Amino acid sequence: MKNILIIGSGIAGLTAAIKVCEGGGNVVLASPAHSERSQSVMAMGGINASLNTKGENDSTHDHFKDTINGGKGINNEKAVKKLTSNALNVVKWLGDIGVSFTRDENGNIDLRNFGGQKHKRTAYASARTGKQIVSSLTALCRKKEAEDSLKYIKPWRFLSLIITNDECIGAILFNENTNEIKAFEADSVIVATGGMNKLFGKTSGSTHNDGYVTAKLLEQGVELANLEMIQYHPTTIETPIKRLLITEAARGEGGRLYVIKDGKPWYFMEEWYPEFGALMPRDVVSQSIYKVCNDLDLGIDGKNQVYLDISHLPDEFIMSKLDEVYKTCIRYLNLNPCNEPIPVYPGVHYFMGGIKTDENHKTNIKGLFAAGECSCQYHGANRLGGNSLLGAVNGGWIAAEYALNHESNNQFEDNLINNVLNEEKEKFDIWSKKDISSNSVPLFKIEENLASIMNNSLSIYRNEKDLNNSYDELCNMEKIAIKADSRNDYYSYIRLPSLILLAKAMVLAALNRKESRGSHQRVEYPDLDDENFKKTTSLIFKDDNIEVSFK
Amino acid sequence: MVESVTVIIKRQKNKDEMSYLEKFEYDGDLNIPIITLLEKINNQDEIKNIEGNIVEPIKFSCSCLQGLCGDCGILINGLPKLACTTFLIDEIGESGNEILLEPFPKFTVIADLVVDKEEMYESLKLLNQWIESDAKVNLDNIQTEYEMSLCLMCGCCLVACPNYSSGDLFKGVPVAINSLKFISQEKDKKHSKELKNNYNHHFYSGCTKSLLCEDVCPMEIPIQRSISKMNRLSVWKLWQLISKI
Repeated sequence: MKNILIIGSGIAGLTAAIKVCEGGGNVVLASPAHSERSQSVMAMGGINASLNTKGENDSTHDHFKDTINGGKGINNEKAVKKLTSNALNVVKWLGDIGVSFTRDENGNIDLRNFGGQKHKRTAYASARTGKQIVSSLTALCRKKEAEDSLKYIKPWRFLSLIITNDECIGAILFNENTNEIKAFEADSVIVATGGMNKLFGKTSGSTHNDGYVTAKLLEQGVELANLEMIQYHPTTIETPIKRLLITEAARGEGGRLYVIKDGKPWYFMEEWYPEFGALMPRDVVSQSIYKVCNDLDLGIDGKNQVYLDISHLPDEFIMSKLDEVYKTCIRYLNLNPCNEPIPVYPGVHYFMGGIKTDENHKTNIKGLFAAGECSCQYHGANRLGGNSLLGAVNGGWIAAEYALNHESNNQFEDNLINNVLNEEKEKFDIWSKKDISSNSVPLFKIEENLASIMNNSLSIYRNEKDLNNSYDELCNMEKIAIKADSRNDYYSYIRLPSLILLAKAMVLAALNRKESRGSHQRVEYPDLDDENFKKTTSLIFKDDNIEVSFK
Repeated sequence: MVESVTVIIKRQKNKDEMSYLEKFEYDGDLNIPIITLLEKINNQDEIKNIEGNIVEPIKFSCSCLQGLCGDCGILINGLPKLACTTFLIDEIGESGNEILLEPFPKFTVIADLVVDKEEMYESLKLLNQWIESDAKVNLDNIQTEYEMSLCLMCGCCLVACPNYSSGDLFKGVPVAINSLKFISQEKDKKHSKELKNNYNHHFYSGCTKSLLCEDVCPMEIPIQRSISKMNRLSVWKLWQLISKI
């Protein structure tokens, strides 16, 4: 029987765990926290599938086309084919396992409009689709746990992969409560650890998704891709806690974007893009908001903000289908969106780039698979709303199938795993005995500096000078980081140098893509350059050097 | 509004050490969530308590920072709340510019404000809280099923509950609301019966209906309504059958 180690228990990890068990394998599911705490529960809007129940002649082919167009042609087409044709089965399966999708008057799963798609294609569960999916998946995992085919362990943090002869045979994990370090041998490993949020300080997502696993994988020779493709969600609000997301469903259900021009509301998206209006793909909406505020200087109250208006929608409709928007605005802005427009501006939301996989979710290392936001294959230069939940479920499902099929004939020495484990334990011992010199910088300050560098140079529009400066600053930061005062927090201590390496790779990706495509807009190169760059950005760390190429 | 606030935090190095109260002085914006307050205390060059001694950062858990994940539940002035949706300004009213933050009681403390909630999850596993069949779809039940799935597993209800204590037969509200959802979706009669029996033994027989759970639930789950429904489904039906014999 195959033993599969799954790292991360959001929707991709949970789905993979269930599918491995259903396929007859055994699972160890490791995560820093319970699934209820995962970023997946924050996904509001919905999940795309061309169910075609609205008489709009929707098809998997149209879903495929919209996804490729949204991603500006650098998505993995084979992967998107599978994604969009599996979508129907994915949503059916979710219904079967008990996800309480909102239904229409005919009892069919209801569909709403989402950005970049002309058909109603986004299935949803009121205002909390992600939460409802997690709820049903965790129940199923509970059953698998009770049947003993799944072992769900928390709070275990990933430290490193165990790789021998270019094949992954397990991972070393760290228990944050007890400081225990343990080796987990496996026939294959599935990584489902979410986006690289920590590089930017706080994003609209969870603080658990810090990007460390992706960073460490880069360090260990795993190929990453398209790191420069960062989705700025057009509508986030400024609050004391962080920039909070206002779901795309607000626009999908009729919300409008405007600023005041000549004393009157100017619905700029509707004027610039009459066909889709405020429901253009997210990259275009974010860039438009940027232009309105920065180039035209029309930001509300002279600030970087435009209005998102849903006040024309009936109050009951807002309370049922957009209740999270209402709650968030009341709670954090003391503003009632039924009466007043919401001041919004784009904020970092999703990473299209990450661990490169093929259409079967295999990485460049045998026995290592990746799924969900940490992985890169479906979304190209810009992800469509509603495709991330789909990508997470579908990715976990496919990764499970191929992880189960993975046959190894790797012969490794018995003491290999112990040696790797001892190395990690030694690192911990050195850290715990380390004297903190009085002039060392607190680690959180370096993290703040890292976030400020990344937010500045990888904003909606990027330029060569800022990117070059950032790269130099990151190189300097590497030297300070090893002396940082981590205040008795081992995990943040080992995380920091890896995150800086990942940040450098991201900046290099942005520097080398000398064109503008989707979410990557270069001031010096405002046009698409299909000849040179209708390709995937590939990043490999080799001989202490990050190699960038376009494939 | 900026004022000086004394933040009193119940601290504990790990589960084996004794807990103690430590005071911090906070000068700054009051219109911030409690999580932001904790971040502000931690993210200083030197973290000093009110006596001016340098101390270790305060340990707390959080994930979503917007009331969607239930990770940050703590006692705020004695009441179980989410630290990311509770604002400082609303908590210092009559207490003379003081605020008291403590870890949840009834759970084992891991460090400072972090507790181990594993027992909640174990109860759900022990009491077979899942469906065996494909889910039944009944349009009239979807809204209820949706509401039951909103549970964050934050533990606020268990902390407030006068009947719940760790290790007891009575397992508290998470079992009740999960049971309602799964019974509503289950086609397998045997498992449905099992869920009802478990509900009777591990919830119905121990609940004295204080309904404090509903008062503190951050998701405003209609708990009273769901308990009545569950009682109708699993307790009264049986009782009627028995009385007929």
